[in-house]
Amino acid sequence: MNLPLQEQETPVPQWEEELAKVGFVRRLLRARKWYGADWWFVAISSVMVLGFIVVALFPQWFAPYGPHEQVGPRFLAPGDQPDLPLLIVRADSGFTSLEDLATGPDSEVSRPPIAVVRGAPTAGSLREQAALIDDELQDADTGMRLRPNIQRFDTVEEVLQSVQDGESFAAVMSSVQFEEVADQFPDLEAPTDISGGVASAGDFTLGTNQIGQDVLSRLIWGTRIALIIGFSSSLVALFLGVPLGLVAGYAGGKVDRIMTVFMDSLYAFPGLILAIAITAVLGPSVLNVIIAIAVLYIPTYYRIVRGQTLSVKQEVYVEAARSIGAKAGTILRRYIYPNVIPSVSIIFSVNIADAIITGAGLSFLGLGLPPSTADWGIDIARGQEFIQNAWWLVTFPGLAIMLVVLAFTMLGEGLTEILNPKLRDR
Amino acid sequence: MANPDILYSIRNLTVEYQTRHGVVKGVDDVSLDIRRGEILGLVGESGSGKSTLGKAMMRLRNGSARITAGELWFDGQDLMKLSERQMRDLRGSRLGMVFQDPMTSLNPVQRIVEHLTETMLTHEPEWTEEEARERAENLVERLGIRRERVKDYPHQMSGGMRQRVMIALALALNCDLVIADEPTTSLDVIVEAKFLDLLKELRDEFNLTILLITHNIGVVAEVADRVAVMYAAKLAEIGNVNDVFEKPLHPYTEGLLKSVPNIELDSGALYKMQGSPPDLSSPPSGCRFHPRCPYMMEEVCPVYEPPFERPEGASEDCRVACWLHHPHPQKVAIGA
Amino acid sequence: MSPLAIIFLIIGIPALIGLAYIFVRGSAGLRRYILTRIGLLIPMVFILASLVFFVMRVLPGDPVRSSLGPKGSAETVARMREQLGLDDPLIVQYGNFLVDIVTLDFGNSLTGGRRPIVDEMSERFPATLELVIPAAAFALAIGIIGGTLAAARRKRPLDYALRLYSVAIYSIPVFWLGLMGQLVFGVRLGWTPIAGRIDPVIGTTLERTTNILWLDAIISGNWPALWSSLSHLVLPVVTLGLILSGVFLRLTRVNVIETLQMDYIGAARARGIRERIVIGGHALKNAIIPVITLLGLQVAILLAGAVLTETVFSWPGMGQYLVQRISSRDYTAVQSVITMFAMLVALISLAVDIIYSLVDPRVRY
Repeated sequence: MNLPLQEQETPVPQWEEELAKVGFVRRLLRARKWYGADWWFVAISSVMVLGFIVVALFPQWFAPYGPHEQVGPRFLAPGDQPDLPLLIVRADSGFTSLEDLATGPDSEVSRPPIAVVRGAPTAGSLREQAALIDDELQDADTGMRLRPNIQRFDTVEEVLQSVQDGESFAAVMSSVQFEEVADQFPDLEAPTDISGGVASAGDFTLGTNQIGQDVLSRLIWGTRIALIIGFSSSLVALFLGVPLGLVAGYAGGKVDRIMTVFMDSLYAFPGLILAIAITAVLGPSVLNVIIAIAVLYIPTYYRIVRGQTLSVKQEVYVEAARSIGAKAGTILRRYIYPNVIPSVSIIFSVNIADAIITGAGLSFLGLGLPPSTADWGIDIARGQEFIQNAWWLVTFPGLAIMLVVLAFTMLGEGLTEILNPKLRDR
Repeated sequence: MANPDILYSIRNLTVEYQTRHGVVKGVDDVSLDIRRGEILGLVGESGSGKSTLGKAMMRLRNGSARITAGELWFDGQDLMKLSERQMRDLRGSRLGMVFQDPMTSLNPVQRIVEHLTETMLTHEPEWTEEEARERAENLVERLGIRRERVKDYPHQMSGGMRQRVMIALALALNCDLVIADEPTTSLDVIVEAKFLDLLKELRDEFNLTILLITHNIGVVAEVADRVAVMYAAKLAEIGNVNDVFEKPLHPYTEGLLKSVPNIELDSGALYKMQGSPPDLSSPPSGCRFHPRCPYMMEEVCPVYEPPFERPEGASEDCRVACWLHHPHPQKVAIGA
Repeated sequence: MSPLAIIFLIIGIPALIGLAYIFVRGSAGLRRYILTRIGLLIPMVFILASLVFFVMRVLPGDPVRSSLGPKGSAETVARMREQLGLDDPLIVQYGNFLVDIVTLDFGNSLTGGRRPIVDEMSERFPATLELVIPAAAFALAIGIIGGTLAAARRKRPLDYALRLYSVAIYSIPVFWLGLMGQLVFGVRLGWTPIAGRIDPVIGTTLERTTNILWLDAIISGNWPALWSSLSHLVLPVVTLGLILSGVFLRLTRVNVIETLQMDYIGAARARGIRERIVIGGHALKNAIIPVITLLGLQVAILLAGAVLTETVFSWPGMGQYLVQRISSRDYTAVQSVITMFAMLVALISLAVDIIYSLVDPRVRY
């Protein structure tokens, strides 16, 4: 009685049919034609991700300093020039650094007089630096010591005058102070700062931390550990979760039921807490963090792969292939993998983002990574103490986490739009 | 609109869709009058634009569809000039719609009675909850559903009952015009027959006018007074049911009737129309049916679009868009 | 009576009454469903507990050694192993562990005065609830309102802005957001306190019954304490809530968009129902159902977030307790807290499933 009609009111657009025919890699490459905005989303975040990978592989190309080097004054705010006190000596004295002022046992002066301005913080820096040098000298067993006899004067001019007169061997004052009056004392020069020039090269874009490490350098080196944790734990989860999901979905029955119940409870358990437990038991190391985080994400892959496998298995062509006696392996490879790969690639990307956040959380809590690691979470945890005075210590590592995670999340988002027909706009 | 017999008049309506392949005309320059108290059947294949037309008549948003030209006159009002707010007041109170699938057209988490009272109270805010409930129960009972069932959720009812609920929703405020979009497609044959009987009864009882959109020409034969045939976004033919079924003028209508097994126009085997409906993003030139038409005239049909006119000698209500019934098709071709 | 017991009464009694009501009024199908679901709770707790046991005892790593440190002599180690029953065969240990859970007796903590762990947890648990429940409510509110707005304004600037928000907020580590909040509102603006649950001086004046401080303050009419506890609550709750809100926003948006394409939405519009009611009533009501199911899974994120938030804000809840005990290598306490979390997850998922069966009339029992 009815006309022979198609059921659907609107026929599937041609571009969608075309899309359905091509494989998933080609679909991605060609997708610009059909998904302008989302394609660009994927493209931009891919570039960001690649950038982060390069930084993680070769941090030394980008970071001005090593991750553990103490290269500057402590708590230098971002953008500030290090205002290291200069060592000022008579040009003809032959002293070029603080170490030159050290004296041996046979010297007539046991404590070299050094002039400072009364009340200025330079005296403290001088004392600290001298103590450092003194320790080194003692360790080296040269018999030399450096114990400055600090002379205090009321004004800059008086300080410099005492050096000019030879009363003091050297003066220590900030470069700003010295430059103002330098013209009046042509005999004096400032060959170096009191650290002997080690720290003065510095240009600390993001400031320095509580032990004088460059924040930017630690950020750049921290990329490495973040990506190692993100990628490795996601890969481990992938290589365990996907086959388990395939097996459960394909086999069905009791195997499936038992595995699913187990995976579901694992999935329901608060991930970070489980990771905390695992790292607490296994002890701190990068490998253990990777294991702990990987365990959390196995169920994610398992669930999606099992679901997809179940639905693909029921589709007609797989039934047909089975009925003509195709081997399980062939069916997996030919029919199930191609259907599962798009979803897995989306999860993988989002998963890395998740793993990085979880890893940062673990190290923020002081678990998992050895405390000396250049890691963003650790930096934030250590900076928390100084949040009242040094905002940059917690702000920048957090921003770094956010940026990396954002890149991976956006990649996953864009891929979802392109590869997942369910959410696709009609 | 001067003629008081005509309840709803569509004038040169064009509805366009925005697709990724450009603009598609889902309804292309269609004019149609619906008379007070009649049941007008609108037949066509899927994608012919009949559902789009139905939704456009209520100015309902339908994806990216947009009315780009034409006028809609309902009971002397120009609907295109009404604000969205005024239009909303008409929907459900004077213009009702019954959808194809009553399962998905009822809110699954709302009880039947809530559907009804919500509609009533939206349009008649001064009614009390109890009044509305009482009316809802009476209405449902009139349609052959037990009163108590109004407390059910849609999924607890059968397909036929749900479709009756849909009708009840259109009757809740005594709509003048009910647009029924494939109302029986999801029902089985027996339920369908009952439903159609009910529709006829209700038409008389509630003084309804019904536009029955369907792809099932048998349904039209059963209940409609007049029938309009739509093909590829345009009207192909319109006429009284008896005339059209006795002597279809448009080759497409003829094909439709021939392919229905139980109406014996031709004693031969079941006829199957050749070809398939055209892609509306690039419709055929001239007469849109020409690639499938057995009577196609080479010089005329693929080139010139036939006018929608009353052929000579046909009855008063009849219109057809086909060069076969034009007095001088060849002359048109040469003259142009 | 311990605070924990009181909390259980406050939450448990209404829950039981509600359950009894559903039981009496509900259909036979619903009754059967709820019974089955409660029956399923037992294997779930069992599996989760086994998971904890596996992690804590079967994985390599010696809790006693790590708890005593390198200084512990072989003799002390042996004594402690015996005390903790670690010399028994694994299967016996497992049995004891399960018995401990059923009897809610987790033993004494190894450090800090060797108090019973149950007592310590009963002080901590209310603090976690005080943080987590408002945070979840806040996140749900933002998520549902934002998600619905985004869906209603689909592909317009507001939608893009809200989607961007949900992706961005998802990428922020909760502890960092907390620190930024402290930095801006605590340190710079000085609007909120940056740590703790209550001003320590005012705290001493407060008589504690439930150990949910604002509730105690209301009960005892101690208004300065109420103000103090609420002002301490704002920053942590907002932090945790904001982080969660992104997920809810996305879920709500996708579901509302999907529902808006349903026939019944078109049908409701065709009946002249106002757009606000179509989206806010019909669409949202249907879209919210899957959001509720997923709420159960978000509990995991919520609790994990609570651990970090508590650490940032020195909030003396279960999470902070867990972290503290790990650093003092108090292995019994760690295991108990994690078991507690597991049971909490099981209970919440039970509650979510029951709520789901009530909200969705179509649920098949």
